[in-house]
Amino acid sequence: MKGLLIRNLSKTYFDPYAGAHVTAVRDVSLSVNEGEFVSLVGPSGCGKTTILNMIAGFVPASSGDIVLDGRRISGPGPDRGVVFQSFALFPWKTVLENVAFGPKMRGAGKTERERIAREYLALAGLGNAADRYPNELSGGMQQRVGVARALANEPDILLMDEPFASVDAQTRMTLQEELTRIWQARRPTVIFITHDVNEAIFLAERVIVLSKGRLLAEVDVPLPRPRVWDTLIEDAAFKTLSARVLHLVRSG
Amino acid sequence: MARQVRSPRAGIAFVAPLFVLVLLWAGVVRAFGVDPRIFPGVLDVARAGLDSIRDGSLVMHAAASLLRVAVGTALAILASVPLGVAMGVSPAVSSFLAPLFRFFSVLAGIAWIPIATLWFGYGFGAITFVIFNAVFFVVTYNTLLGVASIPLPLRHAAASLGARRWTMLTEVLLPGALPNIVTGIRTGLGFAWRGLIAAEMIATNVGLGYMLFLARDFYRTEVIVFGMVVIGVLWLLLDRLLLAPLERATIERWGLVRA
Amino acid sequence: MTTLLRLWSFYARRTTRWPGVAAAIPFIALIASWAIVAESAIFPRAFFPGPLEVVRSFGSLVYKGILPDYLEDSVVRLAVGAAAGTALGIPLGLWLGMSPRAYSALWPVLLFFQAIGDIAWLPILLIWFGFGLATMTFVIVYTVLFPVVLNTVLGVRSVPIDLHRAALSLGASRARILWEVVVPGALPNIVTGLRNGLGYGWRALIAAEIIVGTSGIGFLMFDARRAGSVVEILLGMIILGLLWSVVDGWVLVPIERATGQRWGLIAR
Repeated sequence: MKGLLIRNLSKTYFDPYAGAHVTAVRDVSLSVNEGEFVSLVGPSGCGKTTILNMIAGFVPASSGDIVLDGRRISGPGPDRGVVFQSFALFPWKTVLENVAFGPKMRGAGKTERERIAREYLALAGLGNAADRYPNELSGGMQQRVGVARALANEPDILLMDEPFASVDAQTRMTLQEELTRIWQARRPTVIFITHDVNEAIFLAERVIVLSKGRLLAEVDVPLPRPRVWDTLIEDAAFKTLSARVLHLVRSG
Repeated sequence: MARQVRSPRAGIAFVAPLFVLVLLWAGVVRAFGVDPRIFPGVLDVARAGLDSIRDGSLVMHAAASLLRVAVGTALAILASVPLGVAMGVSPAVSSFLAPLFRFFSVLAGIAWIPIATLWFGYGFGAITFVIFNAVFFVVTYNTLLGVASIPLPLRHAAASLGARRWTMLTEVLLPGALPNIVTGIRTGLGFAWRGLIAAEMIATNVGLGYMLFLARDFYRTEVIVFGMVVIGVLWLLLDRLLLAPLERATIERWGLVRA
Repeated sequence: MTTLLRLWSFYARRTTRWPGVAAAIPFIALIASWAIVAESAIFPRAFFPGPLEVVRSFGSLVYKGILPDYLEDSVVRLAVGAAAGTALGIPLGLWLGMSPRAYSALWPVLLFFQAIGDIAWLPILLIWFGFGLATMTFVIVYTVLFPVVLNTVLGVRSVPIDLHRAALSLGASRARILWEVVVPGALPNIVTGLRNGLGYGWRALIAAEIIVGTSGIGFLMFDARRAGSVVEILLGMIILGLLWSVVDGWVLVPIERATGQRWGLIAR
């Protein structure tokens, strides 16, 4: 099967500060088809980041399987690209060098990887920032670099960990619209983590609600694309979905 | 950053590698048949140590060294903190004098040894002078910096709340500068301790440095190694059990004052 | 009062324009006070000479070629020892920073040996190597090693974990992460370690030269003490302070700031 399959995933760990075992993720099963955009939404502590870290391979699962394109996951790798809330850009590399990093690790030569990098920078709307350093850019621009960098490596799945949480509200909406545009152009498989219900619905085709480590509900989002905030904010279907997911999140 | 519960486990984790090192030492010396005049075995050192404890020489030397450090440091702190506060309060004075004190901090303790012995002769006076200087300049400089870097709005706020000189000093200036002061004391003591050992090697006839140097004359390497261990342990105890926690506590408590 | 204020504002305006002047003025004031105290002969002239005598001694030592030679000896020893200490210390620090197991095994050993201090090694070094270059080099390498290792470890650990994870998710192997992420990320701290190491190394050198020396600035002071000549001791101390202040302030600190600021790692 092409795509991501998670079966009975659980994570328990020992918290030295609490002095006890904590179950962050409880028997979660879900699947994401190739080219699908799925949002994972839930309040803080519901386990969504832990699930992402397990899919990314940063943290081992306590039990259960994660299968990507028929292969079991163990450890991090370039098949799963990650976009971080903290941007995680390499401060000593230029924007271009950051985006070219993945291809560089795969052995691409200088001209080749710069070509790839420029292509994805253009896609993200950052064509003229190529020679700047990350600390010269605004938060919004830095995250665009983060997205370009992850995509430039052409991973099988893109994992986004609350990527717009560190950015102000207006920039966030612009970035969300940008992301949908990029996604429609390239159709990567995406798992997007957020605690913002509206953001989850705006971006995704399917919203998965988590609560206290368990999968609470899955909600399809049949809204047409392209999606734009100005129109969607008044759209009746959007408002209904938003209310429904919000109730699920708050009730869980 | 939350504090994890410190347990006896931490203490064991610290001592264990050192214990392994001692075992290795014993093993190597025996396996290679090293000449004890070149490098002593563990048991020789232990025996020399016990002897020095029993005949009171260790206590005599260690006490002399520690006394010098204590007196020199105490005098230096008593002199330097008030001076540093007084200087730090005025931005004009502090920017004028800071370069001077920074320059003299560089001289640490060791550079003062020759002039100390010329001015004070041999013995307690010269060594205490070295220690005093090692601590004095560093602590004054750090106190100065600490006071000068207290955000002005804080001092204005205190003044507008009716703080007089004394209250300002004890409630604003000292706590605000405390992280820097403690860092200065820790650095200064580091200089002082090393200056002490160096000074005792050439300028006196009692103390840990002297004990080492004397043993060298008689090729008594086991006494030298024992002395080195004592010096290391004393500094570890002083720095890790007293100074580092103090520094961390003040920074954690008051470091947030920094703008 | 107003004249003082006017003088002060004149001073403040000039010095903000030329910070070099600001740095020098306090020392000029200090030298002036020194001259006054020496002239007044509160202390016997033999014990407390004035700045002019020190300058004269400086001139004569330079003329005789002694000072340049001693300076060269000291600096070369420090350079060699520091280079060796750094070459040993950075890899060791990188290893300890990256491997938790190596860290818990070796950290206490490192701390203990650092606590012993370089000076305490002199007696046994003298037995092993005598009064020569080997003893001096050992002391300097030993002294430089610890700040370099400690700061390198700190630097490695201060690289945010997200950067490691980003590199892993972009397909980097552990070896490449060391070169592409850890070393650049730790660089500001490594430079600080080098700076501290040089500072401690310099002092250790002087101590070794005072106790054991055959040449060098420390020996200059040791010899002068034997001859009872305060002037040369003061000269030695001034040279020490000046040399370090110049190297540290105008070479090392700018390098430290450049690496950190360039990448926005150290808040300006």
